[in-house]
Amino acid sequence: MRLKLIGCEVILRELSFVLSRSPHTIDAEFLPKGLHDLGGSKMRDRLQEVVDATDPQRYEAILLGYALCGNGALGLRARAIPLVIPRAHDCIALLMGSRRRYQEYFDANPGVYFRSTGWLERGRDLDQTTMQQTRSLTGAGYALQELVDKYGEENGRYLFEQLHTYRRHYQQLTYIETGLEPDGRFEEDARREAQEHGWRFTKILGDFQLFERLVDGDWDPDHFLVVPPGYAIGVSYDEQIVRLEEAPE
Amino acid sequence: MADLQKLYEAVLNGDNKTAVAVTKEALAENADPIELIQKYMIPAMAEVGKRFECEEYFVPELLLSARAMKGALELLRPLLAEKGAEPTGRVVIGTVKGDLHDIGKNLVASLLEGGGFEVTDLGADVPPEKFVEAVQLRNANVVCLSALLTVTMPAMRTTIEALKNAGLRDRVKVLVGGAPVTPQFAKEIGADGYGENASVAVNLARDMVKASSHAC
Repeated sequence: MRLKLIGCEVILRELSFVLSRSPHTIDAEFLPKGLHDLGGSKMRDRLQEVVDATDPQRYEAILLGYALCGNGALGLRARAIPLVIPRAHDCIALLMGSRRRYQEYFDANPGVYFRSTGWLERGRDLDQTTMQQTRSLTGAGYALQELVDKYGEENGRYLFEQLHTYRRHYQQLTYIETGLEPDGRFEEDARREAQEHGWRFTKILGDFQLFERLVDGDWDPDHFLVVPPGYAIGVSYDEQIVRLEEAPE
Repeated sequence: MADLQKLYEAVLNGDNKTAVAVTKEALAENADPIELIQKYMIPAMAEVGKRFECEEYFVPELLLSARAMKGALELLRPLLAEKGAEPTGRVVIGTVKGDLHDIGKNLVASLLEGGGFEVTDLGADVPPEKFVEAVQLRNANVVCLSALLTVTMPAMRTTIEALKNAGLRDRVKVLVGGAPVTPQFAKEIGADGYGENASVAVNLARDMVKASSHAC
């Protein structure tokens, strides 16, 4: 098969690895991690643009190197060729190889901040305008000095504290190691981050299962949703996570 | 005389210091706390909400205005209690179990306080039984549930079920919100309303409390 993969750069290393071993011919396009911060419909609109720009004559299906991603994939429509998306809440579940493993881990370890190579090395490098927009909308990503410059010393400090309080609720940093790391630099960064915030550091092993199945064309319905033309990605609010939604042209 | 228009502007512009200073000055001159709230602070917060919806204001501006409002309210609250003023409604609010995100929830809580509600904020990662307990203890008539992760959204459903099982569901209106929450989800889990943003949430809470008091 000739396939097109549209993926998030946060899992670029993992997807590149499985792509190199896929029996299929796959063109890949990676989009900035910053889409995650744009969130919801804004992320979806950007993904839709890339889906719509894909030549349906050239490919048999479009693979999404994404999960539901805070509803960033919600409403994404298949045009002339199917879309394939893993059943998962986010890339942490993808990196763990299954949404069930993720759910179990999540339930057993409240207050965990996850890190992987992509989360450590990939910035929010959307183009400057979009970046500015995300930051002023949510306040996320501002450095203390920027807030102070914009809102004054006292207000800036207050905002910085307010916008980062959630980090205080975390207790642990879990680093997902995949074995693709060139050396210990990523683990070191993750350990340093944990130490800075006073979080426990834990390391778990990633699992390529979902990535492999995605690029190998092994799209069993328990792990993937295949969205045929005329349908869009819906959310199912249950263990299936995503479902088909009719989306007539 | 305290220039009360300055109170309106301080809340609107997120100027906590001025809001507190003007309120103090007004109170020293025996101003009516209810008038301060209703004529200046609530309209200022309404304007903040409007600007937020028109995308002239964003989260940082909202946080600063909410803080200015809170600063002034803290001075007024003891006086309100003395006067026996009834709150607009009694709200229990929290981020559901498993979810530690609280910026959105804090904003809604502040705006609700600004809207005259008595707010019990249970914080983040709140298990269903805590909501039940707080509703009983505070005699609440509104429960606001927040989630930022699709993985924790099901905890909204279990919280509503816990309220049902405790026999409290009919006594309270349940509002849900948070980035991944949709009106469809709200409907599916049997919530009474969905607030797309903090400002909508406050209006919704107000309408619901009004509607339910008329029904009685």
